[in-house]
Amino acid sequence: MKTFEEKWTAWLDGQLSGKELVEFEASLPDKAAAEAEKRDAKKLGVLLKRELGGDVLRNEEFFSHQLRERLARENVEPPRKQAAEVSTWWTIRRLFWTGTVSLALFLVFAVFVMREKNPAEQSQYLTQILNARVDPAISPNATISMFEAKEDHVTVLWTEGLQSLPSDYAAK
Amino acid sequence: MRRLLLAFTIFFALVMSAAIPARADQTVWSGLVIAQNVQQPEPIPVELTRIERPLKELFGYNQFQVIGQSQKTLKTGQEDWLATSKFFGLHVDARGESAAGYVLNLKLYKEKELLLETDAKLSKRSPLIIKGPQVGGGQLLLVLVVQ
Repeated sequence: MKTFEEKWTAWLDGQLSGKELVEFEASLPDKAAAEAEKRDAKKLGVLLKRELGGDVLRNEEFFSHQLRERLARENVEPPRKQAAEVSTWWTIRRLFWTGTVSLALFLVFAVFVMREKNPAEQSQYLTQILNARVDPAISPNATISMFEAKEDHVTVLWTEGLQSLPSDYAAK
Repeated sequence: MRRLLLAFTIFFALVMSAAIPARADQTVWSGLVIAQNVQQPEPIPVELTRIERPLKELFGYNQFQVIGQSQKTLKTGQEDWLATSKFFGLHVDARGESAAGYVLNLKLYKEKELLLETDAKLSKRSPLIIKGPQVGGGQLLLVLVVQ
């Protein structure tokens, strides 16, 4: 046994016929209003079919759409990669120049450090007397000492007791 | 790129030239000097002007006369030479060069007698003075200077 709503829906869709159709239309309190509502429902159905039916993709259209999108993405990606390569700092050329500049800086500092090392050799700045001796047979009482006059940067070997000589020996 | 390479090459050459000090031949002046006190002293010889003050202060004389001298340009640091006066002879034997100076063997002769022998490392910036024997009222001094 169908309810009124089921019979109403079937009537709107034009699916009632024969005795059932006659009995349902006879049960309608206002048949003119019902007919107007039926026409509106049909119009709405046509409108919905027309407007919504266009967006529905068939299978082959769906796959071809996906393929097109994928191809478009792949076509766009290489420039992005190129841009990434260009923007990166450590290209081979820049690495080469960085290495070269680093080497140059190292050399500069090495030179300065080597030059700074020389003042540390101040102990060798003054003349050094390594050893000294006199002939004991000629000057038996001779003594030798040495000292540095640092203010004048002079080193002196000082002897005492060497054999004295007459002034004639001062001749040129 | 080429310009940068050229610039780097020049820079490298400059750095290396600064790193390697230029080696020049140097001259060693060696002299036999008689120091005396006189009433009217003569001007000090040019070769001794550099050490005039220590000579006067250390030895207490007012006149210094060169009685014998030699000037030797060292190229290998292995040369030897002689500075002589009438009675004295100073034999100098260079036995190598270092960054600080020259290693020298010095022998002072009175005629043929060896009075004094010494080995010294003569600095290029520091003269060497050796007090020799008393001669009359004065003093014999041996002076070595890298010029």
